[in-house]
Amino acid sequence: MSGKSKTIEPAPTVQVRKKPLKVRIRHSMGFYFMALPVIIFVVLIYYWPMLGIRYAFFSYKLRSIHWVGLENFRMMFSQKEFWQAFINTLWLSTFKLVLNTFAAVVIAIFLNEAINLIFKKVIQTVIYLPHFMSYAVVAAIFSLFLSPSSTGFVNETLKSWGWISQSIDFLHEKSMWQPIFFAINLWKEVGWGTVIFFATLSGINPELYEAAKIDGATRLQRMRYVTFPALSSTIIIVLILNLAKVLNMFEPVFVLYNSRVYDVSDVISTFIYRKTFLQPIPDYGYTTAVGLFKSVVGGALMLGCNALSKKVRGRGII
Amino acid sequence: MKKKMVSVLLVGAMAASLLAGCGSGTGDETTADSTDSSTTTTTDSSSTSSDEPYDLEDLYITVDGTLTATVDSGQKEFEEQWEKAVSEKLGHPIDLHITQLDHSDYAGTVSRTLTTGTPGDGQYPDALIMSATMLRQYQTTGMLWNLKDAFDNAEFQSRITLPKVNEGLQTTDGKQYGFAPTYGNGCVTYIKQSWLTKAGKTVDDIKTFDDYYNLLKSVSDGKTYGVIAAGYGKLDEAPYINYMPEWWQGAYPSFYQNKDGEWVDGFMEDATVEALKRLNQGYKDGIIDPDTEEAGTKQAREKFFSNDQSTSEMAFTYWAGTWLRTLTNNMDKNQVDTDLGDDRLVMLPPIQEIKDTWGGYLNREAPVWVITDDGDGNDAREQAIFDALFETMLDGDKVQTLWTYGAEDVHWSTKAESFDTYKWVEDDKLTDEQKATVKEAKDGKSLVLDKHYDYADGEFHLKPSPNDPNTLWKKNHLDPVLVIAPLTNGYADDDALVTKGNEFFTENCVDAPAAASCDTLTNVEADMVSDKTTWMNEAVTGQITAEEAVQQYKDKYADTSAQIISELNAQK
Repeated sequence: MSGKSKTIEPAPTVQVRKKPLKVRIRHSMGFYFMALPVIIFVVLIYYWPMLGIRYAFFSYKLRSIHWVGLENFRMMFSQKEFWQAFINTLWLSTFKLVLNTFAAVVIAIFLNEAINLIFKKVIQTVIYLPHFMSYAVVAAIFSLFLSPSSTGFVNETLKSWGWISQSIDFLHEKSMWQPIFFAINLWKEVGWGTVIFFATLSGINPELYEAAKIDGATRLQRMRYVTFPALSSTIIIVLILNLAKVLNMFEPVFVLYNSRVYDVSDVISTFIYRKTFLQPIPDYGYTTAVGLFKSVVGGALMLGCNALSKKVRGRGII
Repeated sequence: MKKKMVSVLLVGAMAASLLAGCGSGTGDETTADSTDSSTTTTTDSSSTSSDEPYDLEDLYITVDGTLTATVDSGQKEFEEQWEKAVSEKLGHPIDLHITQLDHSDYAGTVSRTLTTGTPGDGQYPDALIMSATMLRQYQTTGMLWNLKDAFDNAEFQSRITLPKVNEGLQTTDGKQYGFAPTYGNGCVTYIKQSWLTKAGKTVDDIKTFDDYYNLLKSVSDGKTYGVIAAGYGKLDEAPYINYMPEWWQGAYPSFYQNKDGEWVDGFMEDATVEALKRLNQGYKDGIIDPDTEEAGTKQAREKFFSNDQSTSEMAFTYWAGTWLRTLTNNMDKNQVDTDLGDDRLVMLPPIQEIKDTWGGYLNREAPVWVITDDGDGNDAREQAIFDALFETMLDGDKVQTLWTYGAEDVHWSTKAESFDTYKWVEDDKLTDEQKATVKEAKDGKSLVLDKHYDYADGEFHLKPSPNDPNTLWKKNHLDPVLVIAPLTNGYADDDALVTKGNEFFTENCVDAPAAASCDTLTNVEADMVSDKTTWMNEAVTGQITAEEAVQQYKDKYADTSAQIISELNAQK
């Protein structure tokens, strides 16, 4: 046997000629036909209305439409109410997001620790239920509960306990509206928010807990050093995904706010709603301009979140 | 990345266009503002010849909740009978298309319809109902037809008994864009007789605000209240103060013409400060139900006649005439003061302070019908609409009866018939007589005979409501008592309570100030009303003082208010 080593020749590269586009289209004609209804739907429903964006640069009252350039934007940026609504939108959405996520994590962790399965299931069901109620119903219930009249359960209870002598107008007090708003939203959404964290918790390898136990970790330490790190990436993902939507808040505010608390409750969407639907003869050009601004900021936020997502989990959200 | 950027921008733009898209299917864009009120010369269509005949085959009308023959309550039959009667009159078939909008958002929906529609597209109304305020806003836009000539030459002119109603609709340059078939009506204060008796008073004891205040205070104990209304003042709906007239007295929190005919801003006047102070005191003393702030008219009246009177109120200011019957019937349904029958509610004559300022309860400006102008410079179509709709609406006979009482043999009849109406009564409150008539029983309540009705052939009578067989139908769109040209066929519903209510109001009312309208006001009105409502509510509930409320208004709107007043005074 000769000691001469054999060199391995690299395989010759095969040049595959790409078929012409026409041929490829013809071959996949069936698929293109299948996609056609969806494409038409998307164009008609999503892209055709985009032509309306141009009205942001027009004055549009009743049937009178004329070019005003950037006047709508100038008016918008000069209005105190607009900036108030913008700041409120960011604050209410962001704080609600952080609060709800934090509460959902805490509840999920504690319920995960619960040993009694029946107790766990009952609590889970009870806290999920409010999620399925519409905001209109929730607002009606809480308005009745918090009413300052003699039909208001909270005021009447506090009075009967002798804690207050005069009814408190909870939903009309600027100082109380935001805490009540956050509390109602927490009550409604926290249960549903726990679902994703439960899913993550159930995926944690039990061996990690056993190992920690053998090492002498207490229950709190196991939560601190095993459960919480396992949840952290899910928490960040939930936060990032929701951060992109913070400007979309409308319904939870709309059903609970009133003119006395506009300073602390008005958000961009309710601002647009009022300027569009509660004006006797609205200027659709102006409200389109506000909508466009909201979308541009929303788009920027989405890009920011996409970059964050890439950094945290290695892939973007778009 | 580039692709993603593009897609993100597209998504953003798409979201923005959702709003803009609402109006994307509208009329032509013009760099010349053809209809803007500030620059447009309204086409005086009436000056154009309309000699050539125009056969109106389809008539599209938009109405609010005042057409009580709704889809669920015999609108189809009303429509069919109207088409038959009007076709006979015109000599050619005509198809009536009714669009009935939600009453609470009527002005907004009309605005959107007129913005996005095109005359003749089947959605755009040929004629529609407008409040006095809406009329003032739209009559300068060129979208409405000047019906002055048609109105002056109408056949019903000779039968008009209340000419002033429509005279008041004329603009300073002699045009008329609205047609009011009735006068406006207004609100009176109703007091529950049983509560009055309990307080040891009669309505004759209540002459002044102090009398009224002390009466209400005597029944307010933290659970029950003296009074409830749909807002401390309804600042978005003229005449603004008519749901709480005793508290507002001579104040008028909007623009109005004073005795010298000059336009003034009532919200800046001392009278408003005084009114806010009275309301604040009433709130502090637990006389005004705090639900007043958020209540709509429906919630307010439902609480007033609720079967749980332990959280109800003694007084409620609401519409005169037919509403007295409706409120009484609802109290009856809820078994409130059953023994008092039609005497459950007593009407309070205007207190001295109202007499000294306005002179009486305010008769609001009448709602009107308008015809939309298609802008073709020819009146033929518009005149045809007038002839088919308005001319027949006050024909004194068949068609007017349709608008007044509804469809024959559906809402009313002249055929011999007898029927019963039933009501629910709690089992423990059943009398022996009622026990013998129980038709159905459930949840501790029994459906028992309420009234038996027997009519001879040829006798005009109202039938049970199509959507509630246990309630008698009341009226359709036109109130027979308020109409400017009465029926000539002798059909009349003899409800003594309604007649009493109308007579009381007529004896105790004065015309409300005319609604203001100018370009600046139209542009800022919604914001102004919203701010004024906020400050009013804050002043009433004690968050700020009455003086601060008015001062805040002055701080923000003094210049705008001055501009509005100058524009209004320039219209004279």
